[in-house]
Amino acid sequence: MNERTPRPVSAQQLLDVVAETLDPGYAAAAARRGPNPKRRWYDAPAVIIGAFLIGLILVVAYIRTNRGAPEAAKVHDSLVTRVRDAQHTADGLATQVSRLDDQLNAVRGSALSSAQLQQIAADQLAAGIVAVKGPGVLVTLDEPHQSTQSAGSGRGGTTPIGATNILTDRDVRSVVNELWADGAEAISINDIRLTPTSAIRFAGEAVLIDFQPISPPYKIRAIGNSDDLATNFAQSDVASRYQTLVGVDHIRFSFDSATSLTLPAASPTGLKFATPGRAHQ
Amino acid sequence: MIAGLALIAGVVLGLITRPTVPTWLEPYLPIAVVAALDAVFGGVRARLDRIFDAKVFVVSFISNVLVAALIVFIGDKLGVGAQLSTAVVVVLGIRIFGNAAAIRRHLFRA
Repeated sequence: MNERTPRPVSAQQLLDVVAETLDPGYAAAAARRGPNPKRRWYDAPAVIIGAFLIGLILVVAYIRTNRGAPEAAKVHDSLVTRVRDAQHTADGLATQVSRLDDQLNAVRGSALSSAQLQQIAADQLAAGIVAVKGPGVLVTLDEPHQSTQSAGSGRGGTTPIGATNILTDRDVRSVVNELWADGAEAISINDIRLTPTSAIRFAGEAVLIDFQPISPPYKIRAIGNSDDLATNFAQSDVASRYQTLVGVDHIRFSFDSATSLTLPAASPTGLKFATPGRAHQ
Repeated sequence: MIAGLALIAGVVLGLITRPTVPTWLEPYLPIAVVAALDAVFGGVRARLDRIFDAKVFVVSFISNVLVAALIVFIGDKLGVGAQLSTAVVVVLGIRIFGNAAAIRRHLFRA
């Protein structure tokens, strides 16, 4: 291919790669043909075939590279559809549960005496399976505005999966525990009511309350004596810790007492194994 | 002119037929793409230098693709396919860049 006189220095060949960007064949062919070349019969077809092949190769490569993207989008879409369907089903079932619950209450109301009804109402209130309202506090926890640079800066024990995910289940849990300790009577997180069997977990990048994923901002409503709750919570270690984190990690944290909060009902979970027993005295 | 039309014809045909690349050919597609781009820029530059030659254009393009594919094929068999593939892309990439610069000098005298 290279028709120039061979050079003894091999490093020169490396330099030639950089300096001689044009195929030397062109210069050689031009020199062979002389200054006024006459056209040959295969000139035009050769150029056409060559350019045609090049265009074909480029577009084939383009198509092959971009064909993968719609596939991925399709899979993503179908997953989204399936999740939506499942959520829809869950919503429908929840509606059904509350309707049946109403029926149950009506039937029970006609069957039981008023003393028994009062007893049941009090128990249901305590179990968190009826909607309640009353004074209390509203605690809001939220992720920083944009992904913060200090994301990895040693929050003890937590390993954030994404840099945007600073708050985890243990943050929500510690606030909830503090609120219970401060005298809250009923708590909901993002309109999911906590019951005696509620679990606050973390899966992937989402906080799960009773297996329902919630996303920030986490609004934790607690009903109780709003003055006591606000005062106790303000003085707690948890509150001061998150106040510190507001400055360090730029999370958003606020709490305020409220005169009237409404907490939704939780769907009742039937106890399968636990039966009433007598406490050891 | 005629080369540009043929190039567009190739692109259009590819878009219409959407040929699927056989699996065994896929590793060589990037090489072929870079060799194709190199041929295009080399051809344009030679044209501007008034030394364009159709035979050299076609033969150098096809032989570059084949040689590059051969190098990568042998590299694959010996376990250095990725490295040799990179080497081919680097060398042809340098040529593309140099030819593009020469074309620029021709067109803008700068």
